[in-house]
Amino acid sequence: MVRRGILGLSAAGAAVGGLASAGLGLLAPTSARAQEAGTSRLQTVLERGHLIVGTGSTNPPWHFEDESGTLVGMDIDMARLLARGLFDDPEKVEFVLQGPDARIPSLITEKVDIVCQFMTVTPGRAQQADFTVPYYREGVGVMMMADGDYKTFDDLKAAGSDLTLSALQNVFIEDWAHKELPEARVDQFESPDAALQALNARRVDGYFGDQSAIRWLMQQAPDRYIDAGRGWMPNSYASAVKQGDPIWLNWVNTVYREAMLGVDFDYFAASYQKWFGITLETPKVGFPSEFA
Amino acid sequence: MERGTFLYEVWVARWSLLSGFGITLSASVLTIAIATLLGLILGIGLTYGWRPLRWLIRIYVDALRGIPVLVLILFAYYGLALFKINVPPFWAGVIALAAFSIAHIAETIRGGIESLPQGQTEAAKAIGLQFHQRLAYVIIPLATRRVLPPWMNTCAEIVKNTTLLSIIGVVEFLLSNQQAIARNYLVLQFYLFAAVVYLLINFTISQLGAKLERRYAHFRY
Repeated sequence: MVRRGILGLSAAGAAVGGLASAGLGLLAPTSARAQEAGTSRLQTVLERGHLIVGTGSTNPPWHFEDESGTLVGMDIDMARLLARGLFDDPEKVEFVLQGPDARIPSLITEKVDIVCQFMTVTPGRAQQADFTVPYYREGVGVMMMADGDYKTFDDLKAAGSDLTLSALQNVFIEDWAHKELPEARVDQFESPDAALQALNARRVDGYFGDQSAIRWLMQQAPDRYIDAGRGWMPNSYASAVKQGDPIWLNWVNTVYREAMLGVDFDYFAASYQKWFGITLETPKVGFPSEFA
Repeated sequence: MERGTFLYEVWVARWSLLSGFGITLSASVLTIAIATLLGLILGIGLTYGWRPLRWLIRIYVDALRGIPVLVLILFAYYGLALFKINVPPFWAGVIALAAFSIAHIAETIRGGIESLPQGQTEAAKAIGLQFHQRLAYVIIPLATRRVLPPWMNTCAEIVKNTTLLSIIGVVEFLLSNQQAIARNYLVLQFYLFAAVVYLLINFTISQLGAKLERRYAHFRY
């Protein structure tokens, strides 16, 4: 008796489960998948009618939401440039928001066609994903409170092991800090606002981060922070695609290269001006300078 | 309102915050509903099921309780994709949270049922009630009273665990706050705001729970 009752309940459970999974099927989003063997992602994207880009939403000036709730930033401009090249319409992009640690997993699992998310090119990462040509050379620096104990880079250096820095979590970030400040302690945070708040709350002596982010932060809150005045550790930011698709990679590279040196230079230069305050020099007419 | 003040920034971000709030609420409600239903079934199975069925449920419950929710969420989103099952981030999150909470609720139900005096079941048998009748008219109503407080704890945990969905890009309430912070750097203000909102949600849940407890207070023995 008892057993029959339980079996009945299990059957009901299975039915509920079945219904739930059927519902999930109906609600499935457009996927970056469905690429047959031998076809390039370029073809898949063109057939789908829009590009799927992995990015973040909390890191100005790279990718963040403006007051109207629209994603903006340098990475977003690069993604829209690709959409314009594909469909003649910069709006035909679907952004999949993800944390920095999701960049490679979402390429491998084909959740996205490309990642535009301030991704540093490293030999290790290049074994797992194919990088495009870089579109920015980043460097790191330290930002302190204007009214804090440390005023210059020499002060930081002299502090030795008393110095604590906050940084956005990254596998190599501690090594990078130690190149110039070998004894500093590096506290890693999961989001850039948490790393900044550590400085605001004076839990750390300095914010160790990208120079682009430091420049942006100092623009947003003038007089609140000071730059230690030293940059090091050059590193390249590029987009990445899934490995093994030379046609797609080559197409993206072509678009990026021509943005930096060719037909889309004006668009690219306007983005640089807007997000970094850097004025780019117009490429010289004549012999292609990249081969000079 | 002056630009750069907290109220101004909340007003500017209102749609994004409201949408985040909506996502948090819907993820919580869906997870609670699924976890309660399936948790009840598994909990009863854990108490009265055949031995092999009990073992199976026991393995599920122990395994799921032993895995961090964050790992489950990542698995539901990326792990399933490796098996060509492409679940949208919101649903991946709900599946992972529900899978975790089902295990908790199943144990809660088992504990509630087993804490009832054997005499209740015997009395129900003595008046000729079948198993499903005993369950529906005696066991479940009596156990409900005991199960309600831990069940509400689990509900509050579920609401708080929805913040983990931001890791797979679900713009729930916390991430919508972080997006506003990325623009205006009012870090403390927005985190405090988020804390108050989560507190209000969970306070509402505990009030509802207290009301239910009063309603079932007459089930004494």
